[in-house]
Amino acid sequence: MNTSESTATPAHVDEVVDWLIERVAEYREIPAADVDPDVPLAELGLDSVYVLSLCGDVEDHYGLVVEPTVAWDHPTVDALAKHLHAELTGGAS
Amino acid sequence: MNPADTADTVATPADTVATPADTVATPAAAAEELERRLGPADPADARARDLADEREEFPRADVDALDGIGLARHYVPVEHGGLLRDFPATAAMIRAVAGRDLTMAIAHGKTFLGAVSVWVAGGVEQAARVAELVSAGVPVSWGLTERGHGSDLVAGEVTAYPDGDRVRLDGEKWLINNATRGGLVTVLARSDPAGGPRGFDLYLVDRRTAGDAYRPLPKVRTLGIRGADISGFTLDGVLLDPEADRVGAPGSGLETVMRSLQLTRTLCATLSLGAADHGLAEAAHFATGRRLYGRPLLDLPAASRTLGECYADHLLHEAFATLATRAIHTLPGELGVLAPAVKYLVPVGTESLLARLRRLLGARAWLRDVRGTEVRAGVGVFQKIERDHRIVSLFDGNTVVNLNSLVSQFPLLSRAHRRPRLPEAGLAQAADLTAPLPPADTSRLRLMPTRGASLLHELPDSADRLAELATEQNELAPVAASTRLLADRARELLGDIGEQPIVPPDVPAHAFDLARRLTWALAGAAAVRLWLDSHAHVSRGGLGPEPLWADGCWLHAALDRVHTRLVAGHRPTAEEEHALERTYAVLTGELLRQTGDHRFPSLLHIRRAEAL
Repeated sequence: MNTSESTATPAHVDEVVDWLIERVAEYREIPAADVDPDVPLAELGLDSVYVLSLCGDVEDHYGLVVEPTVAWDHPTVDALAKHLHAELTGGAS
Repeated sequence: MNPADTADTVATPADTVATPADTVATPAAAAEELERRLGPADPADARARDLADEREEFPRADVDALDGIGLARHYVPVEHGGLLRDFPATAAMIRAVAGRDLTMAIAHGKTFLGAVSVWVAGGVEQAARVAELVSAGVPVSWGLTERGHGSDLVAGEVTAYPDGDRVRLDGEKWLINNATRGGLVTVLARSDPAGGPRGFDLYLVDRRTAGDAYRPLPKVRTLGIRGADISGFTLDGVLLDPEADRVGAPGSGLETVMRSLQLTRTLCATLSLGAADHGLAEAAHFATGRRLYGRPLLDLPAASRTLGECYADHLLHEAFATLATRAIHTLPGELGVLAPAVKYLVPVGTESLLARLRRLLGARAWLRDVRGTEVRAGVGVFQKIERDHRIVSLFDGNTVVNLNSLVSQFPLLSRAHRRPRLPEAGLAQAADLTAPLPPADTSRLRLMPTRGASLLHELPDSADRLAELATEQNELAPVAASTRLLADRARELLGDIGEQPIVPPDVPAHAFDLARRLTWALAGAAAVRLWLDSHAHVSRGGLGPEPLWADGCWLHAALDRVHTRLVAGHRPTAEEEHALERTYAVLTGELLRQTGDHRFPSLLHIRRAEAL
C-alpha cells in the first residue's frame, strides 16, 4: 500500500504539531503564529477540501494513509498531531 | 397509505421462486433470466402505464410483478442471506426493468438505496433483520434530504436526541421516494445540536412500531415518474432503541451516507442505460419503418449518423458504468472518483442522447397517444421515457454535487498523478469482462481516492499497447491514433487541474468545466481499457457482436464521442472523418440488428424475453 519514498518518523509529538501548523498557515496564507493548535480546524478555515489536501500531505510526508475522517475525529491541530504521532510510533500517544 | 396497510404488506411475503436465479453468474445471464420470468412486453402494458401515468397512479401491478419474481432478494448481499453476490448482475437486472419502464424500476429499486447503508455500516443482527424485510418485499426508503436544504446534508434539521433510555426523532424529510409506501425508512438525523461531520446518525424507523408518530406527507406532483411515490414524512417523537436502531457507530451517519452513495451513484447509471435501451429501440424501429422523400429515413445520411452517434454514446456509457460497477469489487479505493464521474456523465449523456433521438423521431416523440387508436401502437412511448429519465440526473446527488465532489479532489488527483505508480491489478480485473469478481467488501470503500485514478495513470500505457497492436493490425490505426490523442488531452487536463489554486474560497465556474472534462477523460480511458483487456475474450467466447469488437470499432466511435466533449470545437482530420464514416455505418447496422432481434443495444449479447 505504502509507496511514498521519503517518509519521516517524528520523535516527538511537538514535531507533528509544528508541521501541521505550517501546513495550515500555508493553506490559509497566514503567519504560523496565528494558528492556534487548540482551535477546531473548521474554525481555522479548513473546510472539507482543505482536509482532503491535508490528508494527501500527511501521506506524502509521513507515508501514512489517512481518511479525511481523522480530522472529524481529531478536530484540532493538537488532537490531530497526537493521533498521527500515535499512529506513526505504534500506538503510544 | 396508512401504517396498517404497510403492516399488511409485511405479513405477506413475496413468492420467491428464486431457484434458477441462485445460479445466475454473468450480468447477461441475470438480465436474461429476469426477462424470461417477466415474459415478452405486451403493447397493452405501455397503454396501461401511460394511462396510470396520466392519473399519477402508483405502478402497483408492475411492482407486484417484480415482487412476484423475488427481485428484491437481489438487493440483499449473499452474506445476509440474499442473492446479491456480484453488483454487475443486480445492475443488469435493474437495467432490464428500466428498459421496460423507468417508473417501475425507480419505484422498486429504491429499496436497494434504502437498505444499502445497513449493508455498509450495520451490525450482523441488524443486517439480518433488514435482509428479512427486504426479501419479504417490504419497500425500504432512504430519508436524507429536507425541504430547505436539498443536497446540503450537513444542514439537516431532523433531530435524534436522547429521551430516557430511548432516542427520539423529530422533524421533516421531503422529496423522498417511497416515503409513503415504505415499511422501513433509514433516516439521517442530527444527533449533536452543533452538527458537523460527526454530528449525525442514521436510524432505522420501522413503520409497524412507529405508528402515527411517522406521518407521510402528500404526494408531490412531478414532471416524470408521475406514478412514483415521491413524498416526504414528518417524525413527531418517534422513539427508537439508541443501539439496535442506529446504523453504525455513534456519529457515523454522514460517513456511512458518503460511502453508501459511492455504491448507489455508480448503480444509478444502470437506470440511464435502461432508458437509453428503450429509447434506442423505439428510434431504431421508427427509423427503419419511416419513408421520406421516397426512401427509408435511414437512407438519409444525417439520420443514420445520428442514430450511430447516439448508439456510440450509449456504448461509451455502458463501458464506463460497467467498469465502475466491477470496480466496486476490484478497486473500491477508487470509487470515490469513479462514482461521481459516472453519476454525472451517464445520466447527463443519456439526456442529450434522448434529446437527439427525440429530434429524429419528430412529431412521434411529441405525441402522447399510446393507445393506438389514431396512430400505430407504440407511438407516443418516447415522451414518457424522456420525462421519466429527467429524474436520474437529479436524485442521489445531482449534477452540480457530483462535479463539486470531483473539484474537491483536484489537489489529490494532481498530486497522485505526479507520482509514479505500479499497474493496478484491480483495474485490469475490472476491465476484463470475463474475469471472476472477488466478493465485494464495502469496508474497503474510501472517502477519497488517495492514489488518484489508475484509469488515467495507465492511459499512456494503454495508448502504447494500442499503438503496438496497430503495427500488426493496420485496421486498428484510427483507434490507436484516437487513444493517443486522448492520452495527450488527459495529460493536459491533469496539468490544468494541478494549476488550480488548491482551495478556492468559492468554486469558480472554470473548475466545474475542468471537472466535466475530467469525467469524459475517465469515460474514454474506461472504454480503452475495457476494449484492450476484454476484446480477445469476448471474441473467443462469442459474448458480443463481432462487428462491434473487431478492429476496435465501438471504441473508435466511443472515443470520437469523448473528443467532441473534451475539446470545444473538436474537428476530426479528413482522414479520421473518413474512417469514422465507416465506423458509424457499422454501428448503425449493429444497432438495427440488435433491436430487430430483440436484443439489448449493448456491447454484449443480451436477449429480451421476445428472443428467449
